[in-house]
Amino acid sequence: MPRAVPLLWLALAATALPAQESPYFVTYDHHLEEPGNLEISTFSTTGIPRSGQNLFFAPYGEFEYGLTARWTTELYLEGQATSGEGGLFTGVRFENRFRPLKREYPVNPVLYLEYEHTSEGSRILKEVVGNDGDVVDSNSLAGGVWNNELEAKLILSSNRHDWNLAGNFIAEKNFSAHEGVEFGYALGASRPLATMASGGDCVWCRENFVAGIELYGGLGTTYGFGLHDTSHYIAPVVSWQVGNSSTLSFSPAIGLTRQSTPLLLRLGYSYEVRDAARKIARWFGGRP
Amino acid sequence: MRSRPLTAAGLLLLAPMLCGQNTAYQPDPAWHAPLEAAARPNPLAHRQAAMAGGRKLFQRNCVECHGEDGSGLVRKHAADLQLPIVQEQTDGALFWKITNGNPDRGMPSFSRLPEAERWQIILYLRSLKAGRAPVPN
Repeated sequence: MPRAVPLLWLALAATALPAQESPYFVTYDHHLEEPGNLEISTFSTTGIPRSGQNLFFAPYGEFEYGLTARWTTELYLEGQATSGEGGLFTGVRFENRFRPLKREYPVNPVLYLEYEHTSEGSRILKEVVGNDGDVVDSNSLAGGVWNNELEAKLILSSNRHDWNLAGNFIAEKNFSAHEGVEFGYALGASRPLATMASGGDCVWCRENFVAGIELYGGLGTTYGFGLHDTSHYIAPVVSWQVGNSSTLSFSPAIGLTRQSTPLLLRLGYSYEVRDAARKIARWFGGRP
Repeated sequence: MRSRPLTAAGLLLLAPMLCGQNTAYQPDPAWHAPLEAAARPNPLAHRQAAMAGGRKLFQRNCVECHGEDGSGLVRKHAADLQLPIVQEQTDGALFWKITNGNPDRGMPSFSRLPEAERWQIILYLRSLKAGRAPVPN
């Protein structure tokens, strides 16, 4: 069976499609995965902390599948390694996004629901909520404390004059601790560097790049809503569609408050596989 | 103990994947562009050179369901873009349909593409009329 895994990977990669990715790492826009397609991504968040703290590297994998044109489901697996403390698996996330309206409107809502089973050692910072802040606990302590959390987002997004503007309001409840409901936000704006496609295949054309900016942070909890003791980041983002098969994205996020990690370096690589369900079913002996 | 949520999440993800999602394609009589949208002219209509970019975009975004020649893949139940019922629609109507999609029938929205690129796709789509060879790259 282990031998089958790389073969499956190759079979999927052979049919990879252009990913046409949003450049955002934290903010969600209203564009969902195309039905039947599977997007496989790897991301990482590297935290450059203040002096006296340890640098961390938190990779995570994402499997995003378009169930229908209005419903996308995703599975995340995450881990982290901290200098001087070793590495650990930090959990799974299962997320769903639903688009309630059938047409494009000036502002398009998407409903988001996610279940997380993650340890306190999680460092991917896929969102920032509550009073999330700088790393304080060591892996040996944080890695043993597991949480079951439910997270909801209201995603509002708009495409105007080739710009995408998106805003997310986040509410997260940790059922493993008495800490109320945590709130957060994410805002994003992005635009392709060119808005017309050239005729030939090219790697470095402007049309293959999307650039933008994100702003995200915590908004406290039900015990203390607001900006006090919260962390916030501003992050330029850029994505590059490499050839016809995959997308690279990068974002340096700068911490804006004392609570924030001073610098987060985010890197992502994605590719999309068409007709993934059929291929997987065939792989396991299903009817073609 | 830790593996239980993992297993549950995996099953939840894989179950719908293995079921597929397409229903048999039938033209949707309710899928009409509003009159105002249908009346929009293609701003690239006189820039035929832009069609080559349209071909590239079509290859990237459309062939998966509509096939290389636009005739539609039976397995995907996708529309045959060579048919008069498609080709007789105005550029504005096609632009509206590409922009909005028809989620009930599995056609996603392509509003993530810049407007000019959507118009480029329509330029190329016009070259797919039955009996005409698609424009080469």
